[in-house]
Order: sequence, then C-alpha cells, then structure tokens
Amino acid sequence: MNLQRTVQVFCLAIFLLLSTAAAFRYTGWLPHDLFLRLDPAAALLTGIAARVWLVGFLAAGAVLALTVVLGRFFCGYLCPLGTVIDGVDACVAKPGARTGNIPARWRAAKYGVLIFTMAAALAGLSLAFLVAPIPLVTRFFALLVLPLIQQLADLLLRLAAPLADRFDLTSLLYLQLPLPRFYLQWLTLFLMLLILAAGRWRSRFWCRCLCPAGALMALCARRPVLRRRVTDDCIDCGRCTRHCPTGAIGEDPRTTSHGECITCQACRRVCPTQAVVFARPRPLNGAGPRSSFSQYRRGLLLAGVSGLGTAAVTLSGARHLLGDTGTRRVIPPDLIRPPGARPEDDFLRRCYRCGACLEACPTNTLQPYGLSAGLPGLLTPVITPQLGPCEPTCTTCGQACPTQAIRSLPPAERLWAKVGTAHILRHKCLAWELDRKCLVCDEVCPYDAIVLKQEPGLKVAVPFVMEKRCSGCGYCEHHCPVEAVPAIVVEPMDALRLSSGSFRRQGRAIGMDLQLRSKKPPPGEVASPYPLHEGTDGQGLPPGFSE
Amino acid sequence: MDSSPLLPAHRQPEPSAHGFIDRRGFLKQNVRLLLWTFAISAGVRLPRVNAAGDTPDIAVAKGDRVAATRAAVDLLGGMARFVATGQKVIIKPNMSFAGGPEDATDTHPDVVRELVAMCKEAGAARVRVLDHTLRREERCIEGVQKACEVFGDDVVQAISRSRFFKSAPIPDGRQMRETEVMREVLEADVLIAAPVAKSHSSSGVSMSMKGMMGLIYNRGIMHSRYDLHESIVDLASLLTPALVVVDGSRVLSSNGPGGPGRVLKADTIIASTDMVAADAQAVAMFEWYGRKLQPRNVKHIRIAHERGLGRMDVENLRVKQVQA
Repeated sequence: MNLQRTVQVFCLAIFLLLSTAAAFRYTGWLPHDLFLRLDPAAALLTGIAARVWLVGFLAAGAVLALTVVLGRFFCGYLCPLGTVIDGVDACVAKPGARTGNIPARWRAAKYGVLIFTMAAALAGLSLAFLVAPIPLVTRFFALLVLPLIQQLADLLLRLAAPLADRFDLTSLLYLQLPLPRFYLQWLTLFLMLLILAAGRWRSRFWCRCLCPAGALMALCARRPVLRRRVTDDCIDCGRCTRHCPTGAIGEDPRTTSHGECITCQACRRVCPTQAVVFARPRPLNGAGPRSSFSQYRRGLLLAGVSGLGTAAVTLSGARHLLGDTGTRRVIPPDLIRPPGARPEDDFLRRCYRCGACLEACPTNTLQPYGLSAGLPGLLTPVITPQLGPCEPTCTTCGQACPTQAIRSLPPAERLWAKVGTAHILRHKCLAWELDRKCLVCDEVCPYDAIVLKQEPGLKVAVPFVMEKRCSGCGYCEHHCPVEAVPAIVVEPMDALRLSSGSFRRQGRAIGMDLQLRSKKPPPGEVASPYPLHEGTDGQGLPPGFSE
Repeated sequence: MDSSPLLPAHRQPEPSAHGFIDRRGFLKQNVRLLLWTFAISAGVRLPRVNAAGDTPDIAVAKGDRVAATRAAVDLLGGMARFVATGQKVIIKPNMSFAGGPEDATDTHPDVVRELVAMCKEAGAARVRVLDHTLRREERCIEGVQKACEVFGDDVVQAISRSRFFKSAPIPDGRQMRETEVMREVLEADVLIAAPVAKSHSSSGVSMSMKGMMGLIYNRGIMHSRYDLHESIVDLASLLTPALVVVDGSRVLSSNGPGGPGRVLKADTIIASTDMVAADAQAVAMFEWYGRKLQPRNVKHIRIAHERGLGRMDVENLRVKQVQA
C-alpha cells in the first residue's frame, strides 16, 4: 500500500476510533471532534451564520493555510469522507468513471455551492449540515453505522450467552452494550447515498463538483508552493492523465489544474519515466489550465442570490417565530432542547447537526429532529423523554458539541439548565382519572418536583408538578406507565436558554428552585424545605397505607 | 435388633424372618451406613444447627449491621439451612436509587456483602446480586458493587435488557397471570430477598414483596393495568424467597421510595423464611410518618395473609430477638 492510502486508512481509523470513543464518552488527549474542527467549510459557514469566531476554527484555518503550501492535501489524505468515497468508488465505479471527463461547468458547481451556502449563512441560515463534508460523515457514522455495529455485537453476545453461562463468564453474560437508536436513519442514509452513488459515474464526484470545503481549498490551492511538475523525461504516454482520480491533469500531461489536484500523487506512481514530481515550480514550467471560475461569474452571482433568497424564504415562514420572545411564538411541544442549548436562533446558526451530542448522550434521549420546526430545525438535537430521561448531572452533550451550540456547563450550572416543564394530563393519569395508586412520577423525580395532595372526591393522593422545582428532565414522562401519550409530559415551557452568563443566577432570579433530592440534612430531620407529603389517604393514614 | 441412631424410622432396616440379620441385609445396612457417613461428613444432609422447635419464625437482631445480619440468619438456623453446597443463589437487595447509605433508599452494601459471604461459606457454587434498577444502572449498583468486590467484580449486576428476561406463568396469580422474570432467577436454586425497610408513597411500604418487582421486566404494567397491591401479591406467589433479610439498619420512614424523608437509625435486621411475616414485622416495629401502624394497614401484606402466602399476625408468631 502506498503512502497516500496508508495515511488515508490511518486517518479514517483515527476518525472511527474517536467517534466510537465519543459514543462511550471516552475523553483522551485527542479531541473527539478533531476532524470536525478541521473542516473549513463547516467553520466558515458557521462563523458567518452565527457571527462568531471560535477557537475551534483555528484548526480549519490552519488547514487552509497549509493548503496554500501543499495543495488539497486534506482531500487526498485526511478527509474521512474522501477516503470512504475512494473505497466506494473502487467498488461501484462504471468503466470509465476514472478516466471520463467532467465538464468544467459542473466542476465549478462546488464554488456555486460554497457561495450559495455562504450567502444563506450571511442571511442567518446555516446549511453547513447539508453540505460540509465532516459533519455529514460524522453524522452518518454516529447515527447509522455505529448503532448498527452495536446491534450486531449485541446479537453476537446473545448467541454467546449459553457459552458464557456455561463457563461462568458473568461479566460477558451480563455485558449490556449501549444500543442507541435514532430517528430519521433513512434520511441520514439517503444524504450519504446521494454522495456515494455519484461515484458510479465519475470518481470523487462529490469532491470535484459539490464539496464546499473542496471549493474553499481549491481557491487556496490555485498555485500551491509545492505542486505537481513534469520534467523533460515525459514521454507523453498519458498514463497520468488516465489515472488521475480528480481529472486534474489535462490532455497534455504537463498541465495541471492545481485547484482540482488532491495531491494523491497517483500520477507520480504510475509514471514510467519518473517524470512527475511534487516540488517548487520552475519558472515557465507547469503553467496549465487553471481551476478557474471567472467564466462562471454569472452563475456564481446567481448562486449567491439564490442563497440569500433561500434564507429569506426559509426565515420568513411562521416556523421561524421560534426564536421570538414576544407574544408571537410558535414552539412545537416536542422541541425540547438539550440542557445548556443557546437561545434558539443562536443555537440553530451554530449547530452542525453532526450528531456528536446525540451519539454521546448516555440515555439516548437526544434525537435528530424532523421538520416540525422547519428546515432550520432539521436534524437538530431534541430531548425525547419517552426514549430516555435527561440525567440532571450529565454534561455530556455540552462537552461533545464542537461549536458550543450546547454550552459545556460545570455540574453546578448544569443542574439549573432547565429544558422544559412537566405537565400532568389529568384525563390520562391513573390517580386523577381512575383514582388508582400509582405515583411513579413522584417516585422517579430526581428534583422532588412532584407533590402528592389529597383532593376531594378521590381516595388516593394525586400528583401536582411544582414548576419551580421542575427542570424538565423527563424522568416522570419516561417512567409514566400510561401508554401512547404518557399522563405526564414535558414541554419546552420556561426552558432557560442563555448565550452567556450563569444559569443558576438566572434561574434564581426568576424564582426557580432546582436541586437534587439527595441533598439533605442529617438523619432524623425533615429534608426538603417543602412539607412532607401531607397524605391522609382518605382514612387519615400516610400515603400508600390503608385501613 | 438395634436401630441405627442416624437413620430416620422409615429407613431402618427390616428385621429379617429369623430375627437374625441376613447377609443381604447386613450388606445393605453397611452400604447405607457408609453413604450416610459420607453425606453427613460432607455436611449436606443435616442442618448444622438443630432446627427443632426452638427456631423462631422471625429473627430480630439489633446492633452493628454486619454482625446483626449474621446473627439474624443464625437464629433461623444459619445460612446452611437455606443454601447447600453447589447451589446457585440469587440475592435481591434494593439498589434502585443512586443515593448513599444515609438516604436509606437502598439496602446497605455491608448487609449485602455479609449475605454473599454467608452464602459462599455455605458452599454456594454461584452467588449473584441482581436488580432491575430505576435510575442509571452503574450509579445505582456502585455501592453494593464496591462492597462485593472481594468476591470478584462480577457478582453484582444491574439488568435491564429484555433478552435477560423470560416469560413465566403465575399459576396463583389473580390479576397478573404472567410476567417476564430474569432468566437467571428462574434457573436459580435459592432466592434471598434483602430489601431495605422503607416507606412507599403508593404501596405503603416497599420491602421483600414489593422488592420482587426488581426482578421482572415490565413493572409499569403493575401500576397501570393491575391493582398494584394485588399484583404485588401475585408476583410474590411466583417469586417466593427461601429467606428474607430486611435491612432495618436505617429506615426510610417517610417520603419513600425515593426520599428525601425521615431516616430512622434503627440498627435492626429482621430475618424470616416467610416474606409476609418479615415485612409485617418491619411494619409493626418501626414508626411510619411518625406514627405506629399495623401490618394490615399495608394492603399487599393484608392480601398476602388472606391468600395464605404467609402470616402478618406477628403477635402470634415466635419472634426471637438478640443483640449482635
């Protein structure tokens, strides 16, 4: 295996390992979002859309700076999507997929994509999640491939269970792999299949024609410091032209479109006379057709206008009142953002939809959202209490978020990051409606936000939510035994969404009282500042007892 | 002919026709004697403590939780009465909450450790401590897991996946006639319940009977479809422990099952072979919400008594108390 393939495989392996490690919440010295940080398109689009400069963007900047020296090395060596595309291309390509030409105007489409999305970002709509390569491939792996692998591993464990039992391998027998499940898996797959399927027609189609990161790097690599050069040993055999995966070499093998070249050096390896070198250019040598887009000025202008228009149309809809704080609010009841999520508008502009938070969420409550909040909300993370509760002390999603769309909070702050409020649907509640003992919500509430009271006409004490103590964690909804719509549901009402500052201070200021029930005084004392359940249970007995 | 002192009456050799022992009888007797000698020396046939009339129905031990645990079980005849060499034992403590021992929401890890140790001493081939926890598994079982580390790192398991459960009919069930029980529990030889003594907002108290809900897959249905108390008794008729050890070292006397509530430092361990009696004894012994209550005030204890699953009339039972 040559150097390029070795590096590619190595980088893909690192990418997969980091992503897998993130799913198991392993934190090492390598940041789990290393590759996300390297994506210049994601960084640029998010920076523009959110009007923000993040330290994390430095790495992407460094990639661009290095591209000026080395050409599109990122595409040829580091990009995990590029490597996946190479692998798939090798399997699905039709004859001629590698040698065939792509018309120049098609290749210029990537600049169109870049300008379209930049214009949309300028208008406040981030489309990085649809076009930036690393968020795409991260999401594909985190939300589809890894869950499938885990399911498969679990199947194997099941098959091995009798053996494990026979040989007393208890830990193996009871090994419970996390089995995350995600909504919209077909959409995740479809977006990736679109990219990969094009490889049947032309190799690296995505990288050559559509990838906005590729476009950015092509702009930086118009005349890289180290670039392809052909010496006088060239015998015009044309092998390099035929072997170039990106069609960067012209009919005359001495010419190179450096913006298209991903420096894979396949041309150097196939050259029978070793006439190809990657080095400093000699004067008057190697000038070739540029990766030019000046002749498509009109098309690119159109792309920019379309981008602005798309953003304008999208954001003009009623759905976008989501971020409004006035009286005209449209908040889907299931749009419960993770704890620490910034105010909705800021959140949407920053979120990569990379799936890092969803993958890392230990209770699998975080799910990609559909279209109920419009296109800007597509694939963004929401809490889904019926799948799992949101642990009051867990700070994983904030730590996983590469753009801090979900703020990484210290535990004391996290406790106050209220995501919503629980409501009892009395007409479904076993206690309220059927006068039956249940009260699981009270049993599971980590914040002790449920109180039981005696109501006239009912034998059992019935639950009430004390909103001031409720963080919207969803333990109650998750464990409520009532099926279909549970009898207690969390809605995003009164969620605390702060771009900066302390959740605790803000929460206190608006009269919240969020604390875990395990914080209690010494034994023998009444723990909570609230009275014990003053249950009389109809017959003057404490709750749960009967005559 | 002398009767063998070691053999029960129905096993005494028949006297032969001529009053003498014949050859075949002689050989038979010798072989039997030999086998019994082996059996006795292996400690499997005879209880270590004479389990005759003076064994109490309910043992109450006060004092240090570890010593009291052992003392209470010893009062009942020692662990060897329940666990024989080579048997598989399941211990079901309450590990549903992630708080510390001071919260009194879970069985004290030391009590569980002592029980595991006693089972091992009795020659158990395999002891497992299992629960289907309410909160995040690893956090809930942390304490007990740490305490039981001395027996290996795999003794304590929190189980939640459906594949570990197996459907089982409840022949004596009135409402719940079937449920999915942990496979391992169904296959075990001995089941020991080791609940903490605590109040429970919907079932009154949560002890050995209510605790069996931690061994099944779908307990929500016991709240929603069935009457909770009736189905607790249904479940108890299927999952009847051979031994119940109620950890009353701390009692969550109010605001259970999750607390925070009033915690009594009772330093008491209650043991019985009758799960209804054990629970009833704990109800009668401790204060609940600052007052004295009767076992019959807990509906599932009352129903279990009426259905003959055990006895709640602790005043009519032999209760023996020791200071450990």
